[in-house]
Amino acid sequence: MSDEHQLESRLLGTGVERLALLGKHAEALMQGYSRDEIPLEALSDTALRRLLAARIVWRPDEQGGVKLAPRVRELIAEMLADETRRQVNADVGETLELLRTLVQSYREAMSQGEHWRQEQQLLRLRQAVDDLNGRFADAIDSLWQRLNSDFGFVSRLNDKIRENDRAQKQIVRLLDGLALIDFDELIELVGSDGALRKLLISQLQRQLSQHYTSLREVQSRLTELMARFRQQQSRSRLVSGMAAFLREHPNFVPGNYARRSEVPELVNRATPLAAAAAPALDHEPDARVLTELVHQLPTPVHKPQEVAAARPAGVVEQSLVAARQQALKQDVESFYLTVIDHPDSAGISALAYLEESGMEWGKEIWLFQVIAEYQGLPRSEQRAFRLHQEESRASRFNDLRLIHDVTLQLATA
Amino acid sequence: MIEHGPLLERLLAGEFICAVSDDRAFRRLADEEVREQIDTYLRPLNRRLATNDEGSVYFLAWRQLNDEAREQLSRQLGETLHSLMPMLEWLQLMQEALGHDAVVAPGDVLKPAELSARCEDNQSLREHLERLAGDSFFGSQSEQLDAQMKQVFKRLKEHGYLLQPHADRQVYLVTGKIDYLVDLVRFIRDEENLPVDDETPTAQETLL
Repeated sequence: MSDEHQLESRLLGTGVERLALLGKHAEALMQGYSRDEIPLEALSDTALRRLLAARIVWRPDEQGGVKLAPRVRELIAEMLADETRRQVNADVGETLELLRTLVQSYREAMSQGEHWRQEQQLLRLRQAVDDLNGRFADAIDSLWQRLNSDFGFVSRLNDKIRENDRAQKQIVRLLDGLALIDFDELIELVGSDGALRKLLISQLQRQLSQHYTSLREVQSRLTELMARFRQQQSRSRLVSGMAAFLREHPNFVPGNYARRSEVPELVNRATPLAAAAAPALDHEPDARVLTELVHQLPTPVHKPQEVAAARPAGVVEQSLVAARQQALKQDVESFYLTVIDHPDSAGISALAYLEESGMEWGKEIWLFQVIAEYQGLPRSEQRAFRLHQEESRASRFNDLRLIHDVTLQLATA
Repeated sequence: MIEHGPLLERLLAGEFICAVSDDRAFRRLADEEVREQIDTYLRPLNRRLATNDEGSVYFLAWRQLNDEAREQLSRQLGETLHSLMPMLEWLQLMQEALGHDAVVAPGDVLKPAELSARCEDNQSLREHLERLAGDSFFGSQSEQLDAQMKQVFKRLKEHGYLLQPHADRQVYLVTGKIDYLVDLVRFIRDEENLPVDDETPTAQETLL
């Protein structure tokens, strides 16, 4: 008896010590969780030895680095609800074996009158049932988490489909696990013992039937979600496939479905029809309502408008420019008429004419207009004149021609 | 019948009713009795209620197809086909800009400003938008990216593919009319036996 007490207190002591290791080296362990290996520089030799002894970390091979033990990785994933790495594993078969063994030890202890041992076995039985229950609850929780986030921990549709598939397989395994629990066998096993019956029959049955309902629910929701994923995938392929086809065949024209004897449902869309209405006075009560409505209309506000002020200034400017342009053109035309009227063999200098007539045009603009007028004439009329440009090079090195004056004469002269 | 007045008016005006454009009306239309009432009302107008395969949108179809109706349908089909390529291109652009591997679906929220910003950072998206916006269906004359995006969204809203819940906010919802368009694409693919595959080969099939 005292041996057992000693054993228990030793287990307690070591357990507390080793659990504390988790906290003490939390950072290094978490780095080992997120990466492949645990960074050793953060750990002293003693610390590493202790972690290895506690089976919190292990060394898969002599030369390789130190890694988290699978159970610890699972524990962390479970604590973080990290759906990429959370494992679903109900392990019903093994638990059932354990339950059978524990029930037998419990029976033995009872028949031998070892009350303390009997209590211990009952406690372990309770823990085994709780573990089983907890594993199902965790697995179901993990499934719901994944479902509710639309498998948000993976981004690509293909990955979502694969994850959904994996989740569905897990459900099948969990359901298979539930099916392994045969309550007829358990009833036989517990016999007439009240405590066992309460634990292994009524409690377990109630819990497992809840899990069963949840699993079926998650399963049907996962199937629905899968159908949606598949539909999204098929749409995406259809859109890109059709776009590629139309790009390759820009002149593709499908049949005129509207001319078929059976017009396809999808193509039959009626013309829009506006349900228009206008005020009518042929209904006495309505007339009153309409009168009221008319009264409620906001009175249009007429602002006095000054006509002169309404004219934009830019237009005045523009018309002024146009008027000057027109006057210049007319003066140049008079110059041409003068040349016709006075056939001079030497021709008439445009600048001399400008000076003589006392007009105010700038020399440059005058010459420009005279040349423009000549170039604007039809070819036949151009032949009647001879336009001589008096010009020089801009400089020795620049072949630009500067026009100093033009002389216009009749071709016949 | 009076409670269906506004709904009838929208249907008659050629609108597509879906869970996004009018959730209440859409749920009411799920009731067969209501659908029958509406059909009875529409009978003298030579119209009836129609829906797509999944029942995600309702619209009005001709009850009797006379020559005039067929003429109208041919014209309409021509217009829809004209819009097909730009619409498919738009769906692809949205998919690329959002970084999704699924086509936009009814209820999705789209923000032109955000999409513009993404196109700005990415030459290929930018060119894609430019090509798209210049298509006669969208008809943008602008060379500015923001203006192009705005024009594209404006046209999609006019065509009922998008809904703008608040006139002063540049946030749009995709409507069920997108479903109709995808259904139509699938229909054309099937009718014309086009070599466009939308099934993913399963792992076993690939092994074979």
